[in-house]
Amino acid sequence: MAPPVTPWWRNRRLIPWLVQAAVGLLVLVLVAFLLGNLVQNLAAAGLLLTWRWIGNPAGFDIAGSWLPFSADQPYWWALLAGLVNTLRVVVIGLIGASIVGTAVGVASFSGNALLRGLARVYVELIRNIPLLLQLVFWYFVVFLSLPGGAQAIQWPGVVLAQSGLYLGMPELVNGVWQAPIRLSVEFAALLTGLIVYISAFISEVVRGGIASVPKGQWEAARALGFSPLQTLRQVVLPQALPVIVPGLNNQYISLAKSSSLAIACGYADLYSVAETTLNQTGRAVEVMVILLGAYLAMDLVISALMNALNRAVQLRSR
Amino acid sequence: MERSSSLQRLRAALFASRLDGLITVVLLAALLAGGQALLHWLVFKAQWAVIQANSTLFAIGRYPLDQQWRLWLLSVLLAAATGVSWGWLRAFPRPDRRARLWPANDRLAAAVLAGLALLLPLFLELSAVISQRWWGITALLLACRWWAGRLGPALPAAFRRGWPVIWPLLYLLGMTLIAGGLGLPVVSPSRWGGLLLTLIEASFAILLCFPLGVLLALGRRSRLPLLRWLSVLYIEFIRGAPLITLLFLGQNILGLLLPGGFSPDRVWRAAWVLTFFAAAYVAEAVRSGLVALPPGQMEAARALGLPVHQAMLKVVLPQALRVALPAMVGQFINLLQDTTLLSLIGLFELLGTARAVMANPAFLGKDAEVYLVLAVLFWCCCAALGLGSRALETRLNSNPQPA
Amino acid sequence: MTDRDLMIEARGVEKWYPNGYHALRGVDLNVYRGEVVVIMGPSGSGKSTFIRTFNALEDIQGGSIVVDGMTLSDDVRNIDAIRREVGMVFQQFNLFPHLTVLENLCLAPVLVRKRKKVEVEQEALALLERVNIREQAHKYPGQLSGGQQQRVAIARSLCMEPRVMLFDEPTSALDPEMVQEVLEVMQELAREGMTMVVVTHEVRFARQVASRVVLMAEGEVVEMAPPEQFFTAPQHERTRQFLSQIA
Repeated sequence: MAPPVTPWWRNRRLIPWLVQAAVGLLVLVLVAFLLGNLVQNLAAAGLLLTWRWIGNPAGFDIAGSWLPFSADQPYWWALLAGLVNTLRVVVIGLIGASIVGTAVGVASFSGNALLRGLARVYVELIRNIPLLLQLVFWYFVVFLSLPGGAQAIQWPGVVLAQSGLYLGMPELVNGVWQAPIRLSVEFAALLTGLIVYISAFISEVVRGGIASVPKGQWEAARALGFSPLQTLRQVVLPQALPVIVPGLNNQYISLAKSSSLAIACGYADLYSVAETTLNQTGRAVEVMVILLGAYLAMDLVISALMNALNRAVQLRSR
Repeated sequence: MERSSSLQRLRAALFASRLDGLITVVLLAALLAGGQALLHWLVFKAQWAVIQANSTLFAIGRYPLDQQWRLWLLSVLLAAATGVSWGWLRAFPRPDRRARLWPANDRLAAAVLAGLALLLPLFLELSAVISQRWWGITALLLACRWWAGRLGPALPAAFRRGWPVIWPLLYLLGMTLIAGGLGLPVVSPSRWGGLLLTLIEASFAILLCFPLGVLLALGRRSRLPLLRWLSVLYIEFIRGAPLITLLFLGQNILGLLLPGGFSPDRVWRAAWVLTFFAAAYVAEAVRSGLVALPPGQMEAARALGLPVHQAMLKVVLPQALRVALPAMVGQFINLLQDTTLLSLIGLFELLGTARAVMANPAFLGKDAEVYLVLAVLFWCCCAALGLGSRALETRLNSNPQPA
Repeated sequence: MTDRDLMIEARGVEKWYPNGYHALRGVDLNVYRGEVVVIMGPSGSGKSTFIRTFNALEDIQGGSIVVDGMTLSDDVRNIDAIRREVGMVFQQFNLFPHLTVLENLCLAPVLVRKRKKVEVEQEALALLERVNIREQAHKYPGQLSGGQQQRVAIARSLCMEPRVMLFDEPTSALDPEMVQEVLEVMQELAREGMTMVVVTHEVRFARQVASRVVLMAEGEVVEMAPPEQFFTAPQHERTRQFLSQIA
């Protein structure tokens, strides 16, 4: 006896296709609707997509730009200057956060109970306070309150003044500090805030990585006569790195994205320049594409580098 | 005997070697110096007038005075519901565990609540009327907790099973009370501010990003290629973009995407952006839960005759969500912190209100006080969420200690 | 043996895996009511795949399968109906770890057969009694040993009152000292007249309980015979080869 005919909507071979067709149709309709409106609204405002505006003079200034910039430079130069500013803070921030984060992560395994406790307090404190709040704190409460001129905080080779951070051989000339390397207060505040915040998360990644190394490894190393520092360097870290590197990837991307909060510190990063550009030109869609593309590119570069690093630290097994 | 052993332990913990001892001394010195400076500033130099004068602004923004009774009503209802839920949670422990009605944690929590209720109005120099209202609300919470714990078991089981439905109802009622409608005059979202706005944005995004995130996670793991690619595209796009750019996008482009340039209020635009943003991260958390699932679960459920949706709801998702819970709550905590970014697009939640308040010449230079209070507030909320998550984890953990 | 007693009728079952491997090559099998059919064979012979086609956990590209008069088709409603009547016990038990033992048993009857929870709980407790773990009813699977878990799995399938029970290497994942307790339960089940198809390596079980023993190799049925004949006087060389490997 032939089996009864299966209705198409109950046929388990057809159902996957039906579902995909339905979802696909829904998405297409939605996208068509949104894009249609977009084109219509842009046309009505006379803002149809074009890139010709990007050569026009910017008309605004960028403080603390590494690239030489003035108000008559074109928009694309301004955006590039913003990107360079972002990269400055991201690269230095990554290095700084990694160093501090690793130190705190390792400290949580110290034999000294006070050190361990402080590391714990540091992490729990930083993680539960919003980054933006920490950034405005560093900028408005700490760095802008630095004394100026002769009262500035002077350490060997470093001067912290209200006019900026001076590195190298800072000297006071006519009441104004000068040095080979000068960092604006905005940059310093943003950098400090980012380093402190991300280091808390990196320390957790490092802690998790070290904790994943079996205790037997520590004991064996001690039995062989290694000092704690040697144990860490030669035995534990190489085994912890394969666990740490993927977690670092996430945190580095997080730092790169968090740099976009620079606007709160008055630092002219890519987002800040882009916002000004959008406000002036009204070219919302084009500016958005540039912004999102730039951050996506940064993420891809970081991920690619970290994946290469990951392959390099994987333990070779026979 | 005892004193020397604890002294020995202290010595081992802090002065085990010369280096250790040096570290301890340096750290202690730094801590003492820093602590002393902080205390000195707190007691003598800090001027809290900026907080006290603007406490209403920080709490509820520019909500019209004559409609504030609605917020008080909502607070009363929330206090009652929280107290009852808390009490019943304790009165009906899991069948395989012993539990006391007032464990140490609860007593601590009650003490903290009572302490806060007494001290905060003093610190904020609230008027007598408002102080009394807060005392009343806290007392109501604790009274409901006591009543539910003591008399709860007497109520019929059906009532208790149906209780969780009070929360979505209360949420809807709360939004109606806050926003207006159903006979109440409308209060425009532009008048919402401070802690009220922060909580509205955070709660909206947390509630909606959860189902959306679960759908995305299921799509990501689906065998159907179209669903998988759409989910991957969405998740990777969102994860590659800084939140501020997406908020910016929401504010500027949403109007262009809807017919006639219509766009909802800025508050809702931001809330939806937060939702779509968090959903991508929640999806990744849920996905890790789905991956952790033993492979035969779905098969066993289907072999018993369970249809797909029942298998998902009763077998797969409960297990996946239990595993994903810590990561999910981590995302919710991030969401709460991310509401501060709304201050950069012109909304007056807590941080935005703070910035506006400090622009007032009368309060110039009081940044430290304000930011400190905000930091403490956020820290307490986030730490509380973290504690709650760990408590929830323990309760749901189906690998209890051996009897 | 009338047609009414034919519980499973598999005709010319063909299956290819997506990578092109021909897993089942025209397999025929009739299982009658009350029979215990034991399927044995080397790994990769397709025996697990074959019994999983009976409740559509594996789909087939050729042939037909009829379970107690219901023809297995692509209709999801038909598949669900067949799954209700076919119980399955897995090698890895596959209990639901987030539910207690009792909840594991009651889940499907309540949701699928739409029965009242209170009734089902009574029956479930009686079933747990039959497999000798009544006192574990409120424990979680993670608190039980492997043998206990598998017995719960058997009880869970029985709670749906199936007409046929399939066993996919039920004792292969157990520590040796727990194998016996599970086999005893299965033996009891057979004595009570349950129709069973069992994939296993347990020769003693097959000798004592099976009505027929089937050897499968490379996706085909090689030999099928009552256990005395199968184990002492096998007809095919392949069977002799297999028996010498497991002796």
